[in-house]
Amino acid sequence: MRPPSHRLRFGAGVLLGAAAGIWLSHGILDDARREISAETEVRKATVTLQALATLVQRADPREIASTWQARTPSIAQLRIARGMQLLASSAALDKADRAAPRRLMREEKPLYDRGQRLATAVTTNREEGARKAEIEVEWLPGPRLLLAGPLEENSAPVGAIEIETVPLQPPPKAGWDLFALAVAGAVFAFAVLALLIGERRLQLSLAAAACLGVALLLLGRWSIARGEEDRRKGMTAIAQRIEEQSALAQSLGGATAQWDVDEFRKPRGEIPGGHLRGSLLAADAVALALLFLSGLGAFHHLGAALRKNRQAYVYIAPAILGMVLLVFYPFAYGITLSFTDSNIYNTGKSIPEIWVGLRNYAEILGQFSFVRRSETGWVFNYLNFYWTLFFTIVWTVCNVSLGVTSGLFLALLLNTRALALRPVYRVLLILPWALPNYITALIWKGMFHQQFGVINQVLQMFGAAPVNWFDRPFTSFLTAWATNGWLSFPFMMVISLGALQSIPADLYEAARVDGASRWQQFKAITLPSLRPALVPAVIISVIWTFNMFNIIYLVTGGDPGGSTEILVTQAYKFAFERYRYGYAAAYSTVIFGILLVYGVIQNRVSRATEA
Amino acid sequence: MARSRREQEVPHALLHGILAIATLLTIYPVLWVICIAFSGKQTLAIADLPATPGFFDRLRAVIPWPERWTPANFVSVMTDQPFGRWVLNSIVVAVFTTLFGIFLSCTAAYAFSRFKFPGRRAGMMGFLVSQMFPGTLMLIPLYIIMVSVLGLGSTRLGLVIVYATTSIPFSVWMLKGYFDTIPKELEEAAIIEGASAGTIFWRIVLPLAKPAVAITALFSFMTSWNEFILAATFMDREDMYTAPVGLRFFVGGYSQQWGYFAAGSIIVSIPVVLLFLYLQKYLVSGLTAGSVKG
Amino acid sequence: MNRRVLALACLASAAAAAQGELVVWHSYRAAEKAAIEKVVAAYNGSHPGAKVTTLAVPYDAFADKISAAVPRGKGPDVFIYAQDRLGGWIEAGNTVEPIDFFLDEATRSRFIPSTLEAMTYRGTVWGLPVNYKVITLIYNKKLVEKPPADTKELVALGKKLTDRAAGRFGLAYWYSDYYYHAALQNAFGGRVFDGSSAKPVLNAPENVKGLELLVSWLDAGILPAEPSTALITALFNGGKAAMIFTGPWFLGEIDPSIQWGLALLPRAVEAGNKPLRPWMTVEGAFIAAPSKRKDTAYDFVKFLTDRPSAKTMALEGRQSPSNKAAYEDPIVANDPVLKAFRAQVEVAVPMPNLPEMTMVWSPATIMMASVAKRTIAPKAALDKAQAEVLKAVAELHRK
Repeated sequence: MRPPSHRLRFGAGVLLGAAAGIWLSHGILDDARREISAETEVRKATVTLQALATLVQRADPREIASTWQARTPSIAQLRIARGMQLLASSAALDKADRAAPRRLMREEKPLYDRGQRLATAVTTNREEGARKAEIEVEWLPGPRLLLAGPLEENSAPVGAIEIETVPLQPPPKAGWDLFALAVAGAVFAFAVLALLIGERRLQLSLAAAACLGVALLLLGRWSIARGEEDRRKGMTAIAQRIEEQSALAQSLGGATAQWDVDEFRKPRGEIPGGHLRGSLLAADAVALALLFLSGLGAFHHLGAALRKNRQAYVYIAPAILGMVLLVFYPFAYGITLSFTDSNIYNTGKSIPEIWVGLRNYAEILGQFSFVRRSETGWVFNYLNFYWTLFFTIVWTVCNVSLGVTSGLFLALLLNTRALALRPVYRVLLILPWALPNYITALIWKGMFHQQFGVINQVLQMFGAAPVNWFDRPFTSFLTAWATNGWLSFPFMMVISLGALQSIPADLYEAARVDGASRWQQFKAITLPSLRPALVPAVIISVIWTFNMFNIIYLVTGGDPGGSTEILVTQAYKFAFERYRYGYAAAYSTVIFGILLVYGVIQNRVSRATEA
Repeated sequence: MARSRREQEVPHALLHGILAIATLLTIYPVLWVICIAFSGKQTLAIADLPATPGFFDRLRAVIPWPERWTPANFVSVMTDQPFGRWVLNSIVVAVFTTLFGIFLSCTAAYAFSRFKFPGRRAGMMGFLVSQMFPGTLMLIPLYIIMVSVLGLGSTRLGLVIVYATTSIPFSVWMLKGYFDTIPKELEEAAIIEGASAGTIFWRIVLPLAKPAVAITALFSFMTSWNEFILAATFMDREDMYTAPVGLRFFVGGYSQQWGYFAAGSIIVSIPVVLLFLYLQKYLVSGLTAGSVKG
Repeated sequence: MNRRVLALACLASAAAAAQGELVVWHSYRAAEKAAIEKVVAAYNGSHPGAKVTTLAVPYDAFADKISAAVPRGKGPDVFIYAQDRLGGWIEAGNTVEPIDFFLDEATRSRFIPSTLEAMTYRGTVWGLPVNYKVITLIYNKKLVEKPPADTKELVALGKKLTDRAAGRFGLAYWYSDYYYHAALQNAFGGRVFDGSSAKPVLNAPENVKGLELLVSWLDAGILPAEPSTALITALFNGGKAAMIFTGPWFLGEIDPSIQWGLALLPRAVEAGNKPLRPWMTVEGAFIAAPSKRKDTAYDFVKFLTDRPSAKTMALEGRQSPSNKAAYEDPIVANDPVLKAFRAQVEVAVPMPNLPEMTMVWSPATIMMASVAKRTIAPKAALDKAQAEVLKAVAELHRK
């Protein structure tokens, strides 16, 4: 094969990197400018709405509405509703027999509902602290903005004031010319340098990085300047709107009030710059990564690998596709959620709005309150994360060992040749797997009932005292352990039975000829031969048992006092009892992390012993 | 000769003793399910003990035997709702899940076992990793993909895809382990004779891996067989429900009709037992697998 | 003549409102399912052009299915479910449609007021109440001649009928479950949340008195240890529990050999002779927010809660309808079961429908278990539970 041309590879890298970096930067800049422009428009409209709200409180809404509307060209229409009554409207339709004041019509239900919603928001916020938006913002096609705030009488919310803007200016967009120039410049500069350098890899890579870097840097500076300029313009526009509305309000007999407010009607400061700089740097990093991947031949190797192992990839592709589709999207969803404060009160908000970084993780991992004072002395805090983790590990280790040993033991017995009734035993022994565990788990729970459970009956038949199983963590654990052991051994038994079939009979024959005992045969032949099938089964079992929600939930329910909760039942409680989705997602991600570490270590260990 | 020596080593009576005890312990809770199902009543059994129970009162209480035997619960389960139809749906979904799951995991496991290619370890690890994230929060994202994006709500195909995907990771790992134990010499010989990769896989490797394929089949079947929440969430038509969904009608909310649930559970477990009876011949081929060496 | 024209016009407008296919989800089974299907058939028959179809969803999957499907526009037009998840769905958004706007005075006044209150969340009505469930006193007629009118009589009678050695109890109910216990606490004016806000007040003095009343019953020795539904059923069917507090769901489990009667929960002498006030759960018919046929949907839920439908559900589904007029029907009025629950609901309190309520159950269960075992004093137990709920609510409300 011909040695690869470094110049060609780096050249392609510069082109690819520049194209990708510039495409990303362009998108980022557009997004940032769109955001700034949207923020500006919303704030301008908010100022307008608040000015109107202040005026409406002072005088007859209908009069104010018509004079104010006439002198506020930025607003296309306004509507004021008090309960079921339309107090004022400047909508084109609401003339003659539809003119305000009148009862709201069927198609105006959204306006009525808005009033109810805003009233609820205002009262809730007064009673329980700001949590619900008191100003609703909606984008309509056009683009136009619809804003609504509460109508207040004697500071009691009674309805809604709604304004609709005229079609807004579309946000400024950067053209492609400058960006195209940057790509061309980078490629041209590198081409010249490459001719001078020749096939020397280190120098080529430095030159390529320099060309690409300079192009991106210049473009970045220009982009940031555009963003700053937009922000300045936005702030000026808001200030202008405030002045304009103040003047209008004064002329209509009102006084100024705090108008530039957020959705909770709290004052706010400058338009945030957003993450323009950070995002641009990330785009640059992507571009440089592409450059080096191409330059150092990664794409080439990838293509070669794909071609060479085409058959293998075709074989695994369908399974992998299914995984990617159904597993990794939910993964990404869960992990993203774990960095937010997502809960039932903010499901409508976007991810950046509820982003809290590592706060959930810090809270989960930072629980060191192991004991708590009570009137009867110190009490162990079973709801602590580390106790739950410890318990989960104990639970997993006990269950998997019990399942594997009993399953393997029974499989060995059942594998005895010429043993009568084998098919009968086998079928009866898999019954725990065949029946829905929802009922069998509850039967087990019933068997441990203090007064009527059969286990205590048997204890009492032989003169022992009945045990209150769910009163102490240890005995409570035993109940769940017994249940899960019973449920899981058939699976292990079936796996072991299958694996036993792969052991060639002549191995035993040879061992017997050598005079090996049964135990020696088991150790030297059976166990090593079972390894390939048992190790994956054990690994998977550990993962399943670690996340075995049903049994704990149905049998112990965490009793006593949450001491027998495992991590996954805790995560469930945070999501479905406390409605803290972000926190629960972080809990799940921690579980995932622990299992991942286990998986990697286990994999290393098995590989080491394999060799 | 080997047989007679073995029989001398461990007396079968002892084995029978151990197995009998294990079997008794195993089926004891199952007997309670049967007892509740045939009792004609709806409560999870609670013993009716006299005030100061003696030994025999207690013995009576621990024996799962209903006061009277009646098939009333079974009759109600089968006639008050289209339970037979729901079991049939379950069978259709489970059979296709099994076929689909076996096909996908056999091919993937074979590739992982026989080919050395970049990404092999990562791929295996990926399958494992997919089992690690707790499923409690997965309902909504799965719903978004399957129903909102792919539009597979109220279809059996949707359930088959989800169940097969759920069962693949374990199947791949187990089959790969099993394939690893099959000597490569056989395939090499076949290659020399000019057999194609497909022929080798279907004619040589797969027949030798029958026990593992049987386990995979059973496992895939069970994965779909008892699943409740996804089936109940994805299906918007009563005639598309699966048996576990039908079963849950008996015990949700305020009234808990455990008699119906127990009867339904027994009906639902019959196909599993039949499948196992069919598959177990692959798990008990005696120690004939020695012929692998050929 | 004039009247007939008006009636025709009304019919025509109703038919116009009822166009297109309407999907209704419910979690009923057996008789209840048959009853609602009959009502739906009646609607389809009287509204040409309308086609209402129903889907039964298992109760255990219902809430999750609604939360997954409805906000994505894939769900039903109408769904029927208990009010306890209502607040959660409203706060999650795009799930339940407020119906205040539709609700006229005539419709409003057709319901038992407290059932409509259960459909109200933060001042807005979100659904029409269909049926309610409430606990009442059920007694064994062989053992109890005249059910007790107040708690003094209850304890006296209970003591007389209790023979612990023989495993007989005067009174049995699932007293360690907060839902059942609420009847005692509510008699004193107790509550979980302060007004309609989400401020937990679990350790309010009234709640302490409620728990103390329970403790006094435990001291009187009239209650069995470790209560559970299975235990109560076994005791009552074995003739070993004279009186039990339970709801309509229990009636199907009573052994045919037992002669039983229903009565109001007694008045609490300790609470100034105020009645024990159980929590009630109300099954509401809610309109899905993304529904494209909200007018038809509202027309249907109105039909579902009118007098003839309520009668069908009462007599054939054996449910207690929220429609007052249904009880004027002679057959319903003479039905001892329906009559008894109708009387009990007069003093019942709607169970809170705030989403924060789900945070109360776990701590409350632990609290009730420890008080039932007498390991902690009522006040201390309530303080502990209050602290836990307060913490959980604060974490959710944190900004």
